[in-house]
Amino acid sequence: MTLRVGVLGAGGFGRALAMASARHQHDVVVWSRGGRDLPNTIAVSSDIEAMRDRDLIFLAVPARHATSAAEQLGRVVDGRHLVVHVSRGLIGEDLKTITTVLREQTAARRLGALAGPLVADALADGRPSGAVLGTRFPEVTDMVREAIGGSEMRVYDTTDVTGVQMASATVGFLTVILAYAQGVGADAGPLAVMATRGMVEAARIGATLGAKEQTFLGLAGLGDLLAVVAGDDRLEARIGRAMAQGADPRHAGEQAGGYFEGFEVAQHMIAHAHRLGIETPISNAFVAVSKGKMSPEQAKIALMQRRVGTE
Amino acid sequence: MLKRLFSERPLRLPHLKPYVPRPSDPSIFWFNSERNDIVSDVVNRICGAHEPDRGRLEIALNDAAYHEIRRLEKQRDDEARDRLGYWRSMIRRIGKMDDAEQKRVLNSIVTTMAQDVAGNFDPRVYGFARQAIPRMIAGLMEPRRFTKGFTMPQSEVLSRVLRVQGDIEHLNHLQSEGSLVFVPTHSSNLDSIVLAQALEVSGLPPVIYGAGKNLFTNPIISFFMHNLGAYRVDRRIRVQLYKEVLKLYSQVMIERGYHSLFFPGGTRSRSGMIERRLKLGLLGSAVEAFTTNQVRRVDRPIWFVPTTINYALVLEAETLIRDWLTEEGKARYIIEDDEFSRIDRWVAFFRKVVGMRAACIIRFGEPIDPFGNVIDDKGASLSPAGETLDPGGYVERRGTPTVDAARDAAYTRELGNVLADRYERDTVLMSTQVVGHVLFRNLVQQTPGMDLFSRLRLRNEIGINRKLLVKDIGEARDRLMELERNGAVHISDVVREEAPDALLEQALTFWNGYHNATAASPQDSDIVVGDPSLLLYYQNRLVPFAERIADSGQHKAACEIEALGVHR
Repeated sequence: MTLRVGVLGAGGFGRALAMASARHQHDVVVWSRGGRDLPNTIAVSSDIEAMRDRDLIFLAVPARHATSAAEQLGRVVDGRHLVVHVSRGLIGEDLKTITTVLREQTAARRLGALAGPLVADALADGRPSGAVLGTRFPEVTDMVREAIGGSEMRVYDTTDVTGVQMASATVGFLTVILAYAQGVGADAGPLAVMATRGMVEAARIGATLGAKEQTFLGLAGLGDLLAVVAGDDRLEARIGRAMAQGADPRHAGEQAGGYFEGFEVAQHMIAHAHRLGIETPISNAFVAVSKGKMSPEQAKIALMQRRVGTE
Repeated sequence: MLKRLFSERPLRLPHLKPYVPRPSDPSIFWFNSERNDIVSDVVNRICGAHEPDRGRLEIALNDAAYHEIRRLEKQRDDEARDRLGYWRSMIRRIGKMDDAEQKRVLNSIVTTMAQDVAGNFDPRVYGFARQAIPRMIAGLMEPRRFTKGFTMPQSEVLSRVLRVQGDIEHLNHLQSEGSLVFVPTHSSNLDSIVLAQALEVSGLPPVIYGAGKNLFTNPIISFFMHNLGAYRVDRRIRVQLYKEVLKLYSQVMIERGYHSLFFPGGTRSRSGMIERRLKLGLLGSAVEAFTTNQVRRVDRPIWFVPTTINYALVLEAETLIRDWLTEEGKARYIIEDDEFSRIDRWVAFFRKVVGMRAACIIRFGEPIDPFGNVIDDKGASLSPAGETLDPGGYVERRGTPTVDAARDAAYTRELGNVLADRYERDTVLMSTQVVGHVLFRNLVQQTPGMDLFSRLRLRNEIGINRKLLVKDIGEARDRLMELERNGAVHISDVVREEAPDALLEQALTFWNGYHNATAASPQDSDIVVGDPSLLLYYQNRLVPFAERIADSGQHKAACEIEALGVHR
């Protein structure tokens, strides 16, 4: 059955989701001011009204634009619409997830968050890939699988919506750390320790917000980090490498060609953890380095000299 | 024997001629004429779901027999003598029964359960209760006026003590347009009584509600419960079929337009905190009622009214907090030996309460549809952008309304989260809670690094300078007023209007003299913390706001207090 799919945003992921949906013979409209490089089987509109008659809508804008995009979407969607986002980030000091923002700004309730080692180019080109969808609604899973799933794209599902989004946001800043460490020639061992312990930190914080710890060890968390180590060239990896080459952390995002929210996310996660008495050494070191309060070398020493605990 | 007669068999007044409801009567006045139909509807739907599948049917019968045998073997009472033989004989025969017999047995079990659950509504008892109960409570509060109470047109005492807040006009308009489902916070067994009174004084309709079977053991309470539309919930029964009967009974009533009430917290908040972890069973029955009506093309809206019941003094505070602090508390669902069951405690409680202005505030929050959307004056659901919505769209799958249990369970969960947020926003903080919080925060500040249980053992050991305490209370109140202006919470008029030292004095007067333990008492220039667990109970209401009302010096203690609520 042909679905009416809408995509908000024509960046890397927006374009990939639109192309994957069109490849499955669905009727696709992208809401964008530009609509670069899109085949003519995909309609482009700059009018949010174009989303009103859609069955499934993907929100594919950077997290910092999610609130304003959701607000616009709120003018045209109702209880019939299914909305799924692919933004990697948490909003504000209270670590608000994007699905929470969608819930606040729109009348849509059948929501989901798509995350994991989803590589935009692979999705666009139909090369084998996989992702995890956090949603409490089986209908959302069915429709996303119908829109973009299939033999080349495996979409796993979980009801831990908060966990998927927190893990995904954590992967953002852990990617910077790993890419930096790789850039300065760290061995495989420390990389694995940082990836795993960093994810454990995030899982502890996530549990206080209702997330399940195992979600951080699945596709949305460690699985996605494996893609980074295996060479996925995403913005965060470029920032980490730029830092390894001596770029100031505060300007590394511009050098890498994009805006990175991970510093703020890490900072807010630390503040939340601190309030609850949870230890977050890796995130602390990351934020200290990003603010220029500590050199990467000092951070490494500080982390290695910490008392070792039970896993 | 007499007690059992009253608790097991509903006492009803004889009818010389049946009451014919008038069009202006609330929906519940039609209940008796529909009662048998409702019971049949429940039985037919449950049997209809089990009968086509012999495997499922057999599991249901085995589950019923197994759990009932276990329960009755433990009970060893008259009911056990009557029924244990039946279940033991049945469990041996289930496998040998043919399809027809299994269906017949299922029908008989479910019918018995549904009839036991279903209530009764007698307009005469309702008319009597709405006059007499407030006056009886007023009489308990002011015994000198007890005899006069029944001749007084309106109880001034009660209206001074009980305050109702919220947009009553809006609710009054909605009651004739759809089914209202009141979902209050739950602190005390007095909740259903004060809520019934709040509905009455606000001109809102009477509601049906599930009452624990333990309340039916008192013949007088049982008589009123039976005849005012309450349905009986026996929490001792673990049978899956029974749970289905309860849920479906609630669903069918809501589908048919009966206004309802249930406590989503399931049981009284043991800690005194605002509930966040809600039980979704009955909430789900209301969501499914909406779906079923949509599928049947019945256009009857269902609206939830988040309601907070706020007490300055809680009848059962000491038992509840003790229960929360002990391991035993985790397993005890029904407490039968608390203050609610002791008339001397009632009298002491009401005598204390009579001197308090607005000792209980019931706040009816903004009504919402089953999907958390607000409702306009005409009963239409509104999107966050202010657009009118068709709530039926939420249960459509590709344009057709469908029943989908997994989807409705997800909606119910979402609704639970919305209600929990609403409870926080609609809580009205009382003087004892604010003073309790400031005292407890000082205790935490003075005992750095100590865990909760060590702190609770510090009886009469921690003194706080009175002047500093009064200053802290004033600052906390100012910050709460700021939160109130931002729509984060409400505070009572007493907290808003009284001077901080008067608030402290009032709180001490209210606690000491009613509770057996002394919460705090003056000693020279200090206020000395007596029983920290009692303070903990009252202060727990402020857990979500602790950090926001603390200054930098109090921040660490406030974080520790806020951490108490992480998994609440």
